[in-house]
Amino acid sequence: MPAFYGKLKQSFQKLTKDPAVFISVVIIWIFLTLFILFPLAKILILTFEKSGHFTFSNITEILSKRNHLKAFWNSLLLATLVGISGTTLGFFFAFTSVRANLSRGWSKFLDAAIILPLISPPFTTAIAIIFSFGRRGIITYNLLGFTRVNIYGMQSVLFAETITFFPIAYLTLKAILAGIDPTVEDMAFSLGSSRGRVFKTVTLPLTVPGLANSFLLLFAASLADFATPLILAGNKFPVLPTEAFLQITGLFDIRGGAVLSFILLVPAFIVFMLQRYWVAQKYYVTITGKSGAQTEIKSVAPWAKKIFLGVCLGVCLLILYLYLLLFYASIVKAFGANYELTLKHYVVVFTEGLKAIKDTLIIAITGMFCGGFYGVIIGYLISKKEFISRSFMEIVSLLNYSLPGTIVGIAYLLAFNNPPIAITGTALVIIACYVFRYGATSIRTTVAILQQIDPSIEEASASLGAKSLITFRRITIPLVLPALFNGLGVVFIRSMTAISATIFLVSINWTLITVRILEKMTELELGVAAAFSVLVVVIVFIVIILINLFLRIFRQEGAADLSNMLGG
Amino acid sequence: MKKKTTILSFLLALTLIFSLFLSIACAAEQTLNAYSIWPENWARPMFEEFEKATGIHVNFIRFSSGEALARVIAEKDNPKVDVLFGGPVATHIAGISEGVFEPYKPPAFDVLADRFKDPDGYWIGISDDPLVFMSNEDFLKENNLQPPSSWYDIIEPAYEGMMQMADARTSGTAVTRIFSILEVFDRDEEKAFDYMKKLNKSVQVYTKSGGGGTIPVGLGEAGAGIFFIVDALKTQQEGYKVVVSFPKEGIGTSVEAIALIKGAKNPELGKKLIDWAASPGMQNLLSKYKINFIPAHPDVDIEPGLAKVLEGAANVFPIDSKFAGENRKRIVDKWIEEVLPQ
Repeated sequence: MPAFYGKLKQSFQKLTKDPAVFISVVIIWIFLTLFILFPLAKILILTFEKSGHFTFSNITEILSKRNHLKAFWNSLLLATLVGISGTTLGFFFAFTSVRANLSRGWSKFLDAAIILPLISPPFTTAIAIIFSFGRRGIITYNLLGFTRVNIYGMQSVLFAETITFFPIAYLTLKAILAGIDPTVEDMAFSLGSSRGRVFKTVTLPLTVPGLANSFLLLFAASLADFATPLILAGNKFPVLPTEAFLQITGLFDIRGGAVLSFILLVPAFIVFMLQRYWVAQKYYVTITGKSGAQTEIKSVAPWAKKIFLGVCLGVCLLILYLYLLLFYASIVKAFGANYELTLKHYVVVFTEGLKAIKDTLIIAITGMFCGGFYGVIIGYLISKKEFISRSFMEIVSLLNYSLPGTIVGIAYLLAFNNPPIAITGTALVIIACYVFRYGATSIRTTVAILQQIDPSIEEASASLGAKSLITFRRITIPLVLPALFNGLGVVFIRSMTAISATIFLVSINWTLITVRILEKMTELELGVAAAFSVLVVVIVFIVIILINLFLRIFRQEGAADLSNMLGG
Repeated sequence: MKKKTTILSFLLALTLIFSLFLSIACAAEQTLNAYSIWPENWARPMFEEFEKATGIHVNFIRFSSGEALARVIAEKDNPKVDVLFGGPVATHIAGISEGVFEPYKPPAFDVLADRFKDPDGYWIGISDDPLVFMSNEDFLKENNLQPPSSWYDIIEPAYEGMMQMADARTSGTAVTRIFSILEVFDRDEEKAFDYMKKLNKSVQVYTKSGGGGTIPVGLGEAGAGIFFIVDALKTQQEGYKVVVSFPKEGIGTSVEAIALIKGAKNPELGKKLIDWAASPGMQNLLSKYKINFIPAHPDVDIEPGLAKVLEGAANVFPIDSKFAGENRKRIVDKWIEEVLPQ
């Protein structure tokens, strides 16, 4: 015990020695408590409390409903299947892109096509899928002549979510495959192994942690997805996030919604912990200092390369087709019935929808700056400074990001509807939601970048006589800038495209484009919904190009690529 | 480095100016806030006409009835809007017991028929909206069917997995449908729910909003559905080949209502909107904008096209709003538990 106290005292002294750090830590903890711990506590209280007593009866009551129990199992099943199919597809793409000696052009094309689902508003794939494969879909009806196709159900959700989320697997696995030095494979080849054997005994085992990680990421993404099932699941396949949403918005049963989202929280949290404490420690590093001379990659036979490329191209074309269809739907009078060209949907977007566009941009831009700086500051503190509660701070700061948006949204609704902090109905609550949710990506990039920086660079600066402020300004800040831009980008993009959390937080004064899209879809103004979606994709694309431009200006060695920031 | 800093600060300044510019709100002098249950393309022209007539701007957002009521209840202590506009009256009645409305009797109160007003003025009827069957012409032809004329027609095998209708968790249309079925079975819940379970086999998807299935039926994605007449006729007006029919056993009609929120920030403006909506002032405009609600005010004529459709309706009965309001939650819960997971 005395040793413990001694240690505590020591770290406390350390903390007070550097007052700037001390103050920042305290301030950050205040924010984290208010905007992450407090809302989640609210959900827990509502879940386990009934007339002042601790109880499990709220949970058993909700789970005794057949529909909810079904939703629970459906959610797990769907998430598992999406995890498997998305990881498989992602691996296929990553392997093709890294190991099949693709030319730069092809590689870029794959990247560009794959990024589309990641930067799109929700529903886009869902709408396009109904247009193509519905009972009167272009493909199923007009092309193939099926008349009784049922589009609603698990298979459609699975398909849509796989297309939407596999890019996450691709980006995760690409980084890992690229990290495996081909010379390792070369060694096996020179020892006489066949391609199949090399793949089975060298490449695959080295990728296993990556596969597990990608599976978990996709599992979590599917578990959290509320938009796709809302449109495509039909009534035979309820899932938890959608049920929680309906429970609150339809039946005005906030407690029921909170309990349902708590049930959702359990698997989500398990996945989060698995990822953190199991997968993260299993990464194999094959990079030993500088990699040797570039060797020619031999792991894919020429004929196989053609097949791989063909399949990848096929999937990319499918994605492009879905988006072209969306664009087409936005410029015809009534898709499926009247294909006369018109701009009327865009007129609606820029008249009726102007307020939503304005609100979304204000929120996204404000959130972008707050979230970017928030991420960099926390990232800097947890990777460069020693203080009590450091690792706890890291976990808490990533919490809102790891949990399904429905939970976060409901938690915010519960926490901020009444005093002391009654901010529902304001822009502030939406901005806070984005900052504390998507700022986490900025934290992660900052940590990743700072960990690569050898402390010796800073020490060198100090030993050359630079004051610490100068070292910070001349050395650290330039190194962190790419992370900052990454953070700004992610928060902006997510603010433009997210819906699951903020659908509970929009109000008469502040609304969002994504919520308008959902509204237009339920009102069946599909053309307008498509036009809004196209607008979002265009804005986000412009922003990505701008950020890439700035990243190039401030480019540093070893800085993260923009594509990294979207990977999970 | 210096250059980069300049670029950065320039960028920052630009963004700030941009957001400032954006945030200069279009704050009119007199603005009232409303949740509208009517879809945007009907509510918007009405509110624009109201602004023309009175100079009062209506700031509104559209929600399904369940969603709108949920918000009003959640915001009870700190109301964000002044008026709940439109929507089947069962929603408003459910709100009375939650204590979210302020009674108000507009000038038209006395001339309105009893079923178009709450005796205390907690809600005022602005129009009437019967449910109908709406079927796709090609679907009927392909299956050699006549437009359905009985509740039993639509549980025939030909309809299996071919219908779309609203989800009772979010939609007032669905609640009205369920109460219609209850009335058809003389409020014998067992028989009514038995029927709904059979009907469930015909349903391919329950939609979030009441009109959610109209275009799928129009496009032939679904063969038929049960909708409010206002949604069904809109589909027809847009050029989709659909037929409207009524079941001989009868079908319900629901009052569309408006209500003043208790503790509203702009009660006077809200009352003006209610005055206007309950009067011929608004209801005469319905036909101009091709909104096929049946006006509630006795001095407003039913649009001839709409009147013609209604001739085919032998047996349209008003939903007993008191019974519906009192039993809404229980019946909807029962529907979720027994019908939905079938």
